[in-house]
Amino acid sequence: MTTTIVLQQAINGVVLGSLYVLVALGLTLIYGVLVQINFAHADFVTLGAFAAYFFMHLSGADYIASIGVACAVGAALGWMINASIFAPLRRKGNELLPLIATIGVSVMLQNLMLAWFGPIPYAFETPYSNQVFRFAGIFMTEQNAIIITFSAVTVALLYAFMKFTFLGKALRAVSQDRETAGLMGINPNQLIMLTFVISSALAGMAGAMLGPVMVLTPFAGTSVIVKAFAIVIIGGFGNVEGTIIAGLIVGLIESYTTQFLDPGLIDIVVFALLLLMLVIKPTGLISERREENV
Amino acid sequence: MTAAHASADADLASSSAPLLRAQCLHKNFGGVRAVSDISFEVARGSVFAIIGPNGAGKSTLLNLISGVYQIESGSLAFDGHNLAGMRAHRRVRLGLSRTFQKIRLFKQLSVLDNVIAGFHIHHDISAWQYIVHGAGFKRDQVRCRDKALSLLDFVGMSARAQDLAGALSYGEQRMLEVARALATKPQLLLLDEPAAGLNAAEVEVLLDRIRIICRSDITVIVVEHNMDLVMNIADRIMVMDYGRRLFQGTPAEVQKNPTVIAAYLGGELS
Amino acid sequence: MSDTAASQSAAVRRSAVLSRRVRLLLAVLAIAALPLIFKDSYWRTNLTLCAINVLLALGLDFILGYAGQLNLGHSAFYGLGAYVSTLLIVKLGIPFWVAFIVAIAFSGLAGMFLSLFAVRLRGHYLAIASLGFAVITYQILLNWISLTQGPLGLYGIAPPPSLSIPGLPVIDFHNAAAFFYLVAAFTLLVYLLLDRLVRSPIGETLTAIREDEMSAASLGINGPAWKVFAFGVGAAVGGAAGCFYASFVGTLVPDAFFVTEAFSILAMVIVGGMGTLIGPVFGAVLLTLLPEVLRGIGDLRLVVYGATLTFVVLFIPGGLAQAARIVREKLGLGGPAS
Repeated sequence: MTTTIVLQQAINGVVLGSLYVLVALGLTLIYGVLVQINFAHADFVTLGAFAAYFFMHLSGADYIASIGVACAVGAALGWMINASIFAPLRRKGNELLPLIATIGVSVMLQNLMLAWFGPIPYAFETPYSNQVFRFAGIFMTEQNAIIITFSAVTVALLYAFMKFTFLGKALRAVSQDRETAGLMGINPNQLIMLTFVISSALAGMAGAMLGPVMVLTPFAGTSVIVKAFAIVIIGGFGNVEGTIIAGLIVGLIESYTTQFLDPGLIDIVVFALLLLMLVIKPTGLISERREENV
Repeated sequence: MTAAHASADADLASSSAPLLRAQCLHKNFGGVRAVSDISFEVARGSVFAIIGPNGAGKSTLLNLISGVYQIESGSLAFDGHNLAGMRAHRRVRLGLSRTFQKIRLFKQLSVLDNVIAGFHIHHDISAWQYIVHGAGFKRDQVRCRDKALSLLDFVGMSARAQDLAGALSYGEQRMLEVARALATKPQLLLLDEPAAGLNAAEVEVLLDRIRIICRSDITVIVVEHNMDLVMNIADRIMVMDYGRRLFQGTPAEVQKNPTVIAAYLGGELS
Repeated sequence: MSDTAASQSAAVRRSAVLSRRVRLLLAVLAIAALPLIFKDSYWRTNLTLCAINVLLALGLDFILGYAGQLNLGHSAFYGLGAYVSTLLIVKLGIPFWVAFIVAIAFSGLAGMFLSLFAVRLRGHYLAIASLGFAVITYQILLNWISLTQGPLGLYGIAPPPSLSIPGLPVIDFHNAAAFFYLVAAFTLLVYLLLDRLVRSPIGETLTAIREDEMSAASLGINGPAWKVFAFGVGAAVGGAAGCFYASFVGTLVPDAFFVTEAFSILAMVIVGGMGTLIGPVFGAVLLTLLPEVLRGIGDLRLVVYGATLTFVVLFIPGGLAQAARIVREKLGLGGPAS
């Protein structure tokens, strides 16, 4: 009996973890290339969820299609915001200002959504939420299966992209040394834009899949983002492999904490872990220290 | 004690114990031996130069002395105090001060304020005066201002006292760093490539200032690439290469030593 | 320095002192006059809220603007001050002002605890750690139901006890104007205190740490110790704001201290102009009143909040303080530096 519970929660943990990985990957990509934290990322996730919801309900289209729409909405939003706000700020070279700009954008987006959609949670049901199949005594909704599949495929594609394609390598080059990459004929600004677009698309996709499994309000993204930050730090800023591992770990921690302790304690446990990591190894599980030049 | 031409016997004299004594210092960075088995002594009131090709570990050594890095093995004693485990800011209170190879001024503050910042450990104000700003506070303010201005005068920068430090030319910024380091009233002043980026005239001025600094009983350790400066000012020179001590002696001895010549001419640009 | 130059700079300093005194007098007069101008309770409520937010902004500016520590979790100190004081009063019957002092001390200690992270972490890492601290604090307030009643909240919190000074009528703090004067007076005192600190070598020390900690260490400055100091002071001030807030609203729920509140306080500091102390005062007033003034456009008023912040960051990063300087220069008023 207990083994079943443990396995069940493991599956749930992987489902949650996959979603967190999608959200965190976007954050870590941006950080890797820009050394910048994007607080508005949360709201791209929420917007993705709403985009998927309204697309489904207004056009009667398939849920899977609406995931794609959410992706596109996220990408478009990322493009717009980078072009109008973050790119001009980058030229000023201050570390703090872009961070605060992302906070400003986040506040704007959240309250826009609040004004348009209201504070009352939306019930985002998909045809897959209620179809359950079981194996070895474990329950899994089709929704969860979709989540795991989509996430795994996306992460794999992204990983392959980063490792094997020219653009992907260019991205990594820019994250290691922007100036030199520029000298090598790579246009950093275009790459940064590409990173933003990919990152926001991931956020949108994550939102579309998160919508059905959580409480959908304009503040939905906020509850996920703070965990996403924890994942990015535990995995190491800018480190894709670390983020994947950390995301799955946090997902598992969450499902086990919910099962064996108290759901209210989730955030506390995750954050206590985060603070612990920051004290012991701030650069994350896998990455290395960069020595400062004196 | 004059510094200009101390003899090679300076470090054997028993009249004053060395101000700084390093023995068998080691420092590794992830497998790279940046500093390896370095030992030397610096006599009070002298000028000690550390030279060597790029990557020889000179700056690392300075960082060990000033406390940016902690020593891993060996011993380091300053004015009789053991520096092992002592953090950088505490060493300043013992009378150890430095400038940086990459200029680290407070660019948003004025030139004058940069120097005044150097008086941190020498303020003479009781705690409540920080809030009440009474007579004692004002006296201290005036005293600091005056001393800062005289230090700026010393480095020839009093005309620029109110300008932002970030607006200065490279040479001026270097001199400001020296003035700021002097504000801490050091016994030992570490200069990390003070002549880097200076033209010949500015180097002359620097040379002259260092001579005057020595005459006020301040001991100087200088890391430099500029051989003119080093040969003119140093009492003793230590040559480093690949983190090790290659040779130690007077300027004359260094210039004639075949190992040193080989290290410099053997495929490296100095 | 020549005699004329010396006496010139002394004259500049004297006129700076005079202008400071004049401005202080104007501030006191303005504060005294406000409740008399705005007599209805709606506006008096807003004024008190302004004063509380100014207090929050000042505390954060000390940590962020002066010591340069990226603290995104100021809401934690706000909440701790509110809950600690309230719990002491409501559950243990401790007198208001004693609870006030204990709550401030508690917040200050919490700040010092967070500063231990600041000592080890730079920039972005500290930002996330402080955010994490705020989240944990909020979750504790929300979930420790036996202590805090969680989302149900604590009710019936009374204002401070009436003050009877011989020769004057009894001051009852149920009166909105009286409560405002209390908070505003306290805020003014805190401002003067922080202003003094900042214009002393302590201010220079914090600036040095903010600009370049390694360089500061080479001058004998103990970075970690001063960070603990800055956090302690800033957090204590935030805790005081929390105490006033609790007795102001009468009902305390954890939601008032959600992480978004930390962002609001940050916005006030940035829009006002961080590292200027006076800037955040105006930033707090502006951002407190702006949503009220814009009530007409309904739900979009908070959007304006975010838009203001983004706009400031993009075009006038120094905030209102920078804008004021630009205006002064355009008008040709040199004006002594304060």
